[in-house]
Amino acid sequence: MAGDGEQDKKPAQAGNKGLGRLSRRDVLAGLSTVPALGLFGYAWNQQHKYQQAKADAAAASPGAAANVQEINIALLGAGAQGQVLTDSMLRIPGLRFRAVCDVWTEYNQKRVVNQLKKFNHSPNAYEDYREMLDKEKELDAVVIATPDFWHSRHAVDCLKAGKHVYCEKEMSNRLEGARAMVAAARDTGKLLQIGHQRRSNPRYLHCYEKLLREAKLLGRVVTISGQWNRALAPDLGAPDRYKIPEPRLKQYGFKDMHQFRNWRWYRGLGGGPIVDLGSHQIDIYGWFLGANPTGVMASGGTLYHDPATHEWYDTAMVVYDFDTPAGPVKAFYQTQTTNGSQGYFENFMGDQGTLLISESEVYGAKLYRDPNAPAWDTWVQQGYITAPKLQEIKEKTEGVTDVRESVSPDEHKVSIVLRDPYHQPHLQNFFDTVRGKGKLNCPAEVAYESAVAVLKVNEAIEAKSRLAFRPEDFRI
Amino acid sequence: MDRERTDSGVGIAARGDRFDARRFSHEAMATVFEVHAVHPDERYAAQAAQAAFELVDRLEGELSRFRPNSDIARINHLAAGGSTRVGASTMECLVIARHMFDLTAGAFDVSIGSGLPSLELNPEGFLVRATADGVQIDLGGIGKGYAVDRMADLLGEWGLERALVHGGFSSVLALEAPAGRDGWPLTLSDPADPSRVLAALTVRQMALGASGMRKGGHIVDPFTGEPARGRRAAWVAVPRPTVSASAAATDAPPPRAAAVTDALTTAFMLMSLEAIEALCNRSPGLEAWMLPEPDADLMGQVSLLHFGGNGPGYTSTSS
Repeated sequence: MAGDGEQDKKPAQAGNKGLGRLSRRDVLAGLSTVPALGLFGYAWNQQHKYQQAKADAAAASPGAAANVQEINIALLGAGAQGQVLTDSMLRIPGLRFRAVCDVWTEYNQKRVVNQLKKFNHSPNAYEDYREMLDKEKELDAVVIATPDFWHSRHAVDCLKAGKHVYCEKEMSNRLEGARAMVAAARDTGKLLQIGHQRRSNPRYLHCYEKLLREAKLLGRVVTISGQWNRALAPDLGAPDRYKIPEPRLKQYGFKDMHQFRNWRWYRGLGGGPIVDLGSHQIDIYGWFLGANPTGVMASGGTLYHDPATHEWYDTAMVVYDFDTPAGPVKAFYQTQTTNGSQGYFENFMGDQGTLLISESEVYGAKLYRDPNAPAWDTWVQQGYITAPKLQEIKEKTEGVTDVRESVSPDEHKVSIVLRDPYHQPHLQNFFDTVRGKGKLNCPAEVAYESAVAVLKVNEAIEAKSRLAFRPEDFRI
Repeated sequence: MDRERTDSGVGIAARGDRFDARRFSHEAMATVFEVHAVHPDERYAAQAAQAAFELVDRLEGELSRFRPNSDIARINHLAAGGSTRVGASTMECLVIARHMFDLTAGAFDVSIGSGLPSLELNPEGFLVRATADGVQIDLGGIGKGYAVDRMADLLGEWGLERALVHGGFSSVLALEAPAGRDGWPLTLSDPADPSRVLAALTVRQMALGASGMRKGGHIVDPFTGEPARGRRAAWVAVPRPTVSASAAATDAPPPRAAAVTDALTTAFMLMSLEAIEALCNRSPGLEAWMLPEPDADLMGQVSLLHFGGNGPGYTSTSS
């Protein structure tokens, strides 16, 4: 974590702050005047200038108006992703957690309720979401992070109960389920945002709006490549002492604890890695191209894992066809769960330039201009992209002639940095819209188009042939 | 502080170089974390270890200053008067770090001299406020220990009690010993000459930390800005407190022995031997071993100085 090979900063301020050199006696004296705190004397509520800090909290939090309208929310699904969303929501001002609902009452539900209590919320705990909708009278919105096969029923019932809904991707493990969600949002007039969080990521928004649409930096995009490679890991387990009794598992659609923890791999519950991971990035393909695919072919299989516990494909390689106003595009996508080489990214390749982008803040976005393309100077001057990091020109001097290796293209970056957890902007966008101060970046109809494109892949793998999309497939 | 980090084996190793237990490894925080556990079910133990490693990854995302969207990176971009909300783990680390700063009279300083006291912590509201410009936090001296503490708690939830967890072997937490044994067997050795074993320990319910320099490395003294002299390695041991039932019932987090140990090993590389002895005498259970840098004139080796624990204080350098 502290960097090997990274230069830690020299404490140049030590001298400036007038500390000078402390003598041994000073240090000993300093130690003796410290009250007998003991090694573990820090109390959880030990504070410094607590009152002032607390007063500042209301006013000085970045982005918070003094009187931001409070939104009452419930978390439906307190598993891994529910906890990720909660971590983000705890950093967003103006939210009041009224309820947490999860069938794993012994473990995940308890953990999240306790976490929220630390943050001065008092949520009621539920196992059955219908009881929650029935009893919670002051609920404005529900955040859903249950398994995919539950999304439709949960979202539809919450919308019909008059709540705005933020629902994790994939919308549903079945298109019928996704259609029901779109219909319910339309009928009730309530908001339904689907959790493709890159749609609100400031760097992705910048690349889409400024670099692609306005500056058209890449020229004509002809091919796309993307992947999510994930290293091998054991199946998810659960602490023995917190196992869920079988009757309750079966009541909620799981045959055993292993399936409860690994639902993503089972038919009828999830869609495997192409849906878990691919749906994020395939959504970006469609977004950035401004088009839906016309066809897809895919090859995949359960190459490595035990098919008895991995009913879906652990490896998939996919090729989409798009027809865009600028011309046809082919887009490749790969996912695997046996090796994490190069992680996750999307690569947009045009005749004038390349955009390599990842959600990872460590990686960011990199742009390369084709040497024959018009200069990008205006865009650099306007701050849309950074000035290029010049690549070294390598020289080979053998014999009489200088032989130069080809020059690598200049590398530009984007100076937008996300300083918040990854899901925070998308949740913020949802809550802003709930307050009437924004527009959803990924409403149900838009997410439906991605769902159509993504869910077709497993069909295509099965069919072993190219499947076509019709434009009406994407509309409801 | 500037520190040339040694890789795994900063003077701590398994005696005989391996434990007789299941072993799981994971790269995070620029080092290798490991879980060594005795358990009849290999698959269950692997799943428990994986859960612990995923926890470390999440912690790194919140605590690392090298992740642009971590809590710490956000703090490091605060201007005077600015504040930000952080998660519970981040606040816990900052509270411990501030306590260790006070306890060591500034020798342990996660702000590397850039003004830790000007960072206001509001643990109730999970808010951090900068009252001055330029405060820069680096949790490198405490983060691995904290992660190890959290991993141990999680393994306890899974019933893996007979286990040892470490991060790069510079932050070690021994839980219960393998059945029939008094503890996990460890050795302390000279980082400049790892074959030279200086002490053999058998530990259970104990956090053990190490800071050390390879030959030619240096730590910058935050008080002077100059390279510190005189220390080649420091080891610290702190017993893992048992949490009473009443304490467990509150929402206060349990005492983090490995985090405290991590911080102390860093501080002890800089503090005077008198100050180290004073702290050890005042803190029941705290034990430290110091390996001084040998004098240029001395032909022989220096011996290990021992503080606290059952020892009588430090013994003088011998040649």
